[in-house]
Amino acid sequence: MKRILGLTTIVGFIVMFLMVFLWSPIESSMGLVQKIMYVHVPSAWTGYLAVAVAFIFSILYLWKRIEQFDVVASCSIEIGAIFCGLALITGSIWAKPTWNTFWTWDARLTTTLILFLIIMGYLLLRRFSEYGEKQARISAVIAIIGFLDIILVHMSVVWWRTLHQPSTVFSEKPEVINDQILTTLIICVSVFSILYAFLLISRIELEQKNRLFFKKISAEGELN
Amino acid sequence: MSQMASIELTNRQFLLQRMISNAWTIFLKDLKLDYRRVENFFSMLFFSLVILLVFTFALSPEQTKNIGILCGVFWISFLLSGILSLGKSFSLERENSCLDALLISPISRGSIFLGKMLANMAMIIVVQLIVIPIFGVLFNGVVFDHVAIFIFISFMASIGFSSLGTLLAGMTSDIRFKEILLPILLFPLLVPLLLACVKISQSILAGEGLSPVVDWFRLLAGFDLIFLIISYLTFEFVMEV
Repeated sequence: MKRILGLTTIVGFIVMFLMVFLWSPIESSMGLVQKIMYVHVPSAWTGYLAVAVAFIFSILYLWKRIEQFDVVASCSIEIGAIFCGLALITGSIWAKPTWNTFWTWDARLTTTLILFLIIMGYLLLRRFSEYGEKQARISAVIAIIGFLDIILVHMSVVWWRTLHQPSTVFSEKPEVINDQILTTLIICVSVFSILYAFLLISRIELEQKNRLFFKKISAEGELN
Repeated sequence: MSQMASIELTNRQFLLQRMISNAWTIFLKDLKLDYRRVENFFSMLFFSLVILLVFTFALSPEQTKNIGILCGVFWISFLLSGILSLGKSFSLERENSCLDALLISPISRGSIFLGKMLANMAMIIVVQLIVIPIFGVLFNGVVFDHVAIFIFISFMASIGFSSLGTLLAGMTSDIRFKEILLPILLFPLLVPLLLACVKISQSILAGEGLSPVVDWFRLLAGFDLIFLIISYLTFEFVMEV
């Protein structure tokens, strides 16, 4: 499974690069810089996907108490951290030439930043607590609360930014009129999702090996 | 059949009454502990005032006349002093294994949560009752016309703050670096609360009253309700022996 995903990812990336640089047209207003969108939007999408997967597996863990679910949730959050950070960085790089500033407290950027901070909190919580059932339990609770909260955060930040300041100057996504741009974007999102699946499976394998090793050398033995 | 139904109903009523009385007992216990160690209360109060002081020096005189900035300062001091109360509510239990005793007693986790949450709320509200007039005195007296509404908004904010805060404090109570981890975890989750409170206070201090910010008020009430329920339900997962 992992090998298939890995090969598909490589092929997908080659296809993606070809499409982005050779096939999709250069956007009229932004020029070549607009191509960052093909990395930025899929990263953001994959980041949210990773957190959603972690949310589902956290609920499953609290319900069924199967260690495997905790493994999937924590690995997914780690990968989500990478993609979320990538989205923030590529977004800033894209913002500088187009909006003339690296950062703005726009609704979607603020929500992504807060999501990134919640993810960091989760990872710190896992680091500071000792390996065991308690760690799995409390990180599952944080993942669930964080996910539910980010929905409220998004609503409130959108209100915050639009109630007195209608955002006419900044549009969050360029208007995707062109079919070629849309197709390329969809292909990029799919490739990134396959990359996410590949990374997730690899990370889960690594984590399982880690835990097996830890259980062997530790006096405690089983997770429960 | 109706006899069974009425037995079922009284059973449920009985459980509810018991839950409320247990929560009330724990609330009174925490208050009593705070009363005996009144330095906890004073540390919260003076920390609040110190934050206000620091902001006075950090901002220029024109900035301290700006209502928007003042509201931000007030709510930052609310958040930071509230964290002290949360940290204390579980560290009290660490001595003499009180927390273990609490968990093995036949009290539901929900009652423990409610009791602690109410105790945190009480502490925060009492501190705010003193800080709000002092805030008014330090910063040009803008607040004095609106003290009642300010106290009400603080009350609403303390519900949401205490619910999430008590849950997260219970979660981090025996982890290393819990004092720094609690704010890192809690503050991003409290962003809607903070935004709503700042917007509402800005509108009140600018003299516009509550009508332009009714949506924010609804968000605040909704946030409180949602996280009170979610924290109540998930507290038992956090507090397993």
